[in-house]
This record gives sequence, C-alpha cells and structure tokens, in this order.
Amino acid sequence: MSKSILALFLTALVSASPVRAADESCGKCGKQSYGTSVVWSGTPSEAAAKAKAEEKLVFVLHVSGHFEDPKFT
Amino acid sequence: MNALANPEVGAFINKHFVSSFQKVATFQIVNGQKQGGNVASYFCAPDGRVLHCVAGPVDAGTMLREAKWVVDSVKKAMEENRKTEVPFKALFRRWHAERLRQEFGLVVEPATFDAPTPREDDPLSYNDPSGRPVIQPLVLPPIDGPDVQFRAMAKEAAAGAADAVACRKGGRWSLGNQGRVHQLMAAYSMTKIEKVYATVFESILGERVSTKPVITINPRDGERRVVCLTCESKAHAQE
Repeated sequence: MSKSILALFLTALVSASPVRAADESCGKCGKQSYGTSVVWSGTPSEAAAKAKAEEKLVFVLHVSGHFEDPKFT
Repeated sequence: MNALANPEVGAFINKHFVSSFQKVATFQIVNGQKQGGNVASYFCAPDGRVLHCVAGPVDAGTMLREAKWVVDSVKKAMEENRKTEVPFKALFRRWHAERLRQEFGLVVEPATFDAPTPREDDPLSYNDPSGRPVIQPLVLPPIDGPDVQFRAMAKEAAAGAADAVACRKGGRWSLGNQGRVHQLMAAYSMTKIEKVYATVFESILGERVSTKPVITINPRDGERRVVCLTCESKAHAQE
C-alpha cells in the first residue's frame, strides 16, 4: 500500500515539474535548435568569425521577445 | 518560425550559413494574449554586411527560395566581379532592383555608391547614453526616379498610409514586405546590419526597435542554456 502511494506521489511530482521545450537541442550533436531545424552558433560576432573560417555566409535572425522560449517568440 | 522548422530549409541553411539570432524588439502579453512582435531574417557576408533580408514570417518555400537566391547570387557576383571588376555591392543592388522590377513591376534606380557617413564621434550627431549614435531609419530609394519636390512624401505623411508607396507621378503602389525589402536593398545592400535593421523593423515591419537587447553582448539567457555533456567532454578531451 505504502509503495503504491509512493509511486503515485513520484508520478505526480514528475508530471508537475516544468516541461522544457520538446526539441531544445539536436538529438544528434546536442546543439541547440530552439524548435527549428537550424543549428545556432552563439552571438552574431561568433557566427561571423566561424563563417569566415568555414568560408560560409552568415544568417542572422532578428526576433521580438525570447527566442529561446517558444512561448515568448 | 515554421519556415525554419522545415528540415529542407534547415539543411540548406546549415550547409551554406552559420546562424545566429538577436533580440531586437519586444512584445507585450496582455491578459495572456501576445501583442506585437515580429521577425526578420538577414543573409549576410561574413563581415556582417547584409546581402538580403526576409522581413516578417514567411513559409518554408519562400525562405528556401530566398536563401538559394542569396547563395547563387554570391557565386554569380564573385565570378562577374573577377571578370568585369564591377563592385560586388553594385551587382547586388542592381539585382535587387531587377527583382523588384520583375516581381513587383516597380522601377528603382539602384544606388551604386554610398554617401559618406558622419564619424561616430562627430560632435553634431546625437549619441544615446551608451555613447552610440541614434539609429536613423534609412530613406528608401524613390520609385521611378527622384521626387525632387517631395510631394509624394508629403502626401504619404498626410494620408498615414503604411502599405502604399508613392511614385513621382503621384501614383500609389501597394507593396508588400518583400517588395519593400528589395527597394531598400537596391540602395543599401552590402551595408552593415546595424545600419539596416532599424529600417527593416520600424519602416517595413512597423515594430519599434528596443535598443537594449542589441547592446547586450551575449543575448542568451545563461540560466536556460542546455549544455551537452557529451560534446563538452569531447572538446575537453581534444584540448
């Protein structure tokens, strides 16, 4: 009886914990994707330096609100 | 945001671009409802000069088409620059004007040179408390030639129409976000992103730019950062 109560309590505790965004990070490399298919590389200046080294272009997204949190984008 | 969730768009952008994001504006939540807020995507050279921009949320097809256009145009401009020595900037501005003509039927004269800008420490320019000059919205190039008497501009100001663009003959054109982007890029392509973004956000998208998030050096909230222990440990092992 006490075991089942404990199991119920633990289940309730787990379900009550804040749910993070479903795919905050890429399942393959672990880099953050914030709900997109794009891999984000730090600040624009970091991205620019990386782009120069890799001979790529730079993609900069300007957003309102908190991009990291889908609820606020 | 749906466009960037598309796997095809993501794969193309990851292949040709290094991506980053910045918070440039804010929105309000009133009684649980989001008010305002917008998004602008910039395709830039590695030195931060803007090649092209997508203003506002678009579908995956549009985003992919614009990204491909940028990549193809860069390759084409590099070849043409090598052959003809026409500056990269002039080529891009000409191609933006050409796209505006082809897709929207409007003619603008691409600006192939930039007027000298005042220095940051110019005593005649107003600086905000952080010491930076205030960002002024850029003047869009006139449609169908210069409006030397500013009649169209005065008419537009009096009418308060946001979507209509006036030409020098007094005609008014309804131009969407992407048309306005081409109009802007015909004069300001290959300009630093910090000079262009206020115009895109304020004049095209109609959002007020809040400067504070831009001044922030690291726009990410450190507490919410997800650290991948596998990748971190690999990096440490290599060091």
